[in-house]
Amino acid sequence: MGKYLDELITKKIEEIKKKDNTFAIGKVIAVKEYIVEVSGLDEACFMEKIIVSNNSTGYVCSIGRHSCKVAIVEQNDDIYVGDDAVASGELFKGLYSTDSVGHIIDIFGHDRVTGSSFDNIHEIEVEKKNVPLMDRTAVVRPLETGIAGIDLIYPIGKGQRQLILGDKKTGKTQLCLDTIVNQKDKKVLCIYVAIGKTKKNIVNLYDELSKKGAMEHTIIVAAFNDDPSPLLYLTPYVALSIAEEYMMFGMDVLVVIDDLKRHANIHREMSLLVGKAPGREAYPADIFYTHSRLLEKGCQHKNGGSITILPIVETKGGDATSYIPTNIISITDGQLILSASSFQKGQKPAIDYGLSVSRLGGAVQLPEMKKLGAVVRRELLSYLETRKVYELANEDEMSDELKSKLRKGKAILDDLNQYKYSPRAKEEIIETFTKDVNGLVN
Amino acid sequence: MAAGKIISVSELSVEIMLNDVSVKNRDILYTTQDNGDIRRFEVIEIDGGTAVAIPFESVYGLKKGMEVEKEEKGLSMEYSDNILGRVFDSYGKLIDDTNIEYKHEKSVYRKPLELSEVKNNGEILWTGIKVLDFFAPMQKGFKMGLLGGAGVGKTVVIKELINNVYKGFGSNSVFVGVGERSREGKELYDELKSGDLLDKICMVFGQMGDNSMSRSKAVFSGLTAAEYLRDEKKQDVLLFIDNIYRFVQASSEIYADMKRMPIENGYPSNLETLISEVEERINSTPNGSITSFQAIYIPSDDITDEAVQAITQHLDGQVVLSRKVAERGIYPAVDVFNTRSSMIDIEKVGERHYRLVGEVLRYMDRYEELEEIIAVLGIEELSLEDKLIFYRSRKLRNYFTQPMFVAEQFTGMEGKYVKIEDVLNDVEDILSGKYDDTDESKFFMIGSLS
Repeated sequence: MGKYLDELITKKIEEIKKKDNTFAIGKVIAVKEYIVEVSGLDEACFMEKIIVSNNSTGYVCSIGRHSCKVAIVEQNDDIYVGDDAVASGELFKGLYSTDSVGHIIDIFGHDRVTGSSFDNIHEIEVEKKNVPLMDRTAVVRPLETGIAGIDLIYPIGKGQRQLILGDKKTGKTQLCLDTIVNQKDKKVLCIYVAIGKTKKNIVNLYDELSKKGAMEHTIIVAAFNDDPSPLLYLTPYVALSIAEEYMMFGMDVLVVIDDLKRHANIHREMSLLVGKAPGREAYPADIFYTHSRLLEKGCQHKNGGSITILPIVETKGGDATSYIPTNIISITDGQLILSASSFQKGQKPAIDYGLSVSRLGGAVQLPEMKKLGAVVRRELLSYLETRKVYELANEDEMSDELKSKLRKGKAILDDLNQYKYSPRAKEEIIETFTKDVNGLVN
Repeated sequence: MAAGKIISVSELSVEIMLNDVSVKNRDILYTTQDNGDIRRFEVIEIDGGTAVAIPFESVYGLKKGMEVEKEEKGLSMEYSDNILGRVFDSYGKLIDDTNIEYKHEKSVYRKPLELSEVKNNGEILWTGIKVLDFFAPMQKGFKMGLLGGAGVGKTVVIKELINNVYKGFGSNSVFVGVGERSREGKELYDELKSGDLLDKICMVFGQMGDNSMSRSKAVFSGLTAAEYLRDEKKQDVLLFIDNIYRFVQASSEIYADMKRMPIENGYPSNLETLISEVEERINSTPNGSITSFQAIYIPSDDITDEAVQAITQHLDGQVVLSRKVAERGIYPAVDVFNTRSSMIDIEKVGERHYRLVGEVLRYMDRYEELEEIIAVLGIEELSLEDKLIFYRSRKLRNYFTQPMFVAEQFTGMEGKYVKIEDVLNDVEDILSGKYDDTDESKFFMIGSLS
């Protein structure tokens, strides 16, 4: 007997031992991109974790009469037809460590910069059960962004879901970064979820947040463009499960999801690949539910904790009325629309005050901000509308009332401008705009 | 022996191979997991020895070979004299930690009403919202749709209606939350509770975080409660549904998952059948009336959407909220050209109201044209008559805004309830030129002029 045979036998025995406590072993019979069809896994349950070809993992995404389909989340090697697929006997879960704060992580408890695992990792469900309706309470506490146009006119409350909508390069991510930086020393944990961003983007973002000292209270959960689609699909769900853990301890969490349009596209890609019927714009029928159940995780819990979500959605040609943007608008508690034309005119942040909405309004503002905010908003909107109509009118023939209205409106609009990372305190905002609405500024 | 075995699982449906038991559509099957959890399914399709069933909850953890049992009866709702003030989930179970004593159970499905049972009764129902009462007056037993794209203020109007009509009339009511925000549902509950107004309203919720099955059944449970109040308690009932479109949407999700051939935009081919089953139950009988307010979401701001059109054909009146109007800060953002009611009839509302509506629409229509002309030429170039139309229309447009009771946190202003006589007088005065010298801003966000 040669050494060769010995080795072979030991290897086999080891393999058998390794699979001893597993449910069953099936065989790969088809590979379609990242969807693998497996036969022989009769005992597999829906969403069970499957190990394919020894070191790739995935989850069961549909069980047919004779085979089941597995979506590969982590692929470390080539997959061949005939490879083993081992059922793990447990549901697919993410991993998370509380040491992750300040790092760029994935949903398996890895630090994405070093590639190593964190210590004291624990399992985390992909999707937890919904927070029951009766366990939620009203959203009333303000989340200060430091941006006057938001804090004063379209405020965000803790537990609110506020959509950030706009074309490419209109400052959507910047708005969220400003908000994250402004949470320093305010006891709010921030989670930035990157879905399909480039690695360069994330490195820049990490550097900027570190420079501003904001990484101390921030976790970046990243799935890059070149990660498998199922990983991109699952990332925001796991990120929200992480947020829920903190919320259940009574903490306030801010989650930025960048961006959901990409997530919708990923879901469309996967659905079409497994043969689901396409609906409007070829998105599958459950596209609304895909995002509604994700964003419904944002809430003010009765235990005092909260999850605030700022999802970002990219539009094309400023069209906020296309399918995905309107779907998400109908889920969130309001939307901030950033307009390319305002951006080009030098208005920063380029918020379109006419189209933006907060469904909570003054309910999440402190009394003095609420009173002033309602007036400023009314003056501003009526100015923007009047400006359009009277653009060509002769100023000399206008009534004094109209003239002062136009002057006031312009002053307000000018004062709403501010640079990035230059947050304004509540007191400063109140002082500036009280002057404006009283018409003290010429 | 078990009723059958699971042979396949997908996200929204399971296939079950049946043993020798007779199963019909809408029967409920259930399976008990190793940890004691019970998962329930409703049969939707039977093909020989296999049945397709839709899970009530998530399918995580289900596997092939699990045995299923059949429940005695289909989906039913608990009820008694005490359903008012209570909160139910879509499957007719209480979720507010209370119990119903002396309860009865009733299937959430029922036979369609006979023609002879349907009755139209006539009393006019004023809502106190100027633009609604003027352009789309209501009648008891009416079905009024509130259509709007995302984020133009449907829910605010529904809440204002609850405030004005439910509080004003004290009728027993049913609120059905379908696929909308849990936060809003809870806030409505809290507001009613703190205002001591919960005693006459029954609430049913299947909100947007719930799965497709839950969202598609909430409306059935809600209707069952409303029918109980109408048929057994012989009352006039107000029914608020926010949002009926989500019911269609949830049904499409289910049929798409079953790989049924869809029609345009992914809707199921039985779209109109589905809607008719629900809408035909909302009717008045000699026992009592059901007056319903239904919010209807317009996907992609496309009012020609098949589902929206299929719903609106059942309505007696509709109020359309538009983004173009909302953008100008005009709330409620009503698009007056698409808003209508079968009450706008010379025999029903009288000659004066009828004439004024026609006149206002004529002014508004001309205003739209003038706006385009002004954008090019400026106001000074208009004829005297057009100038008058232009300025009066702007005043009218401002006049039809209104501070709402439920929107105080947005406007910082107290809500106003306006009587229809005042609206008619004010509109007549604006049209006749009585206010030509008053600045248009004086008409914005007010109640009545007198």
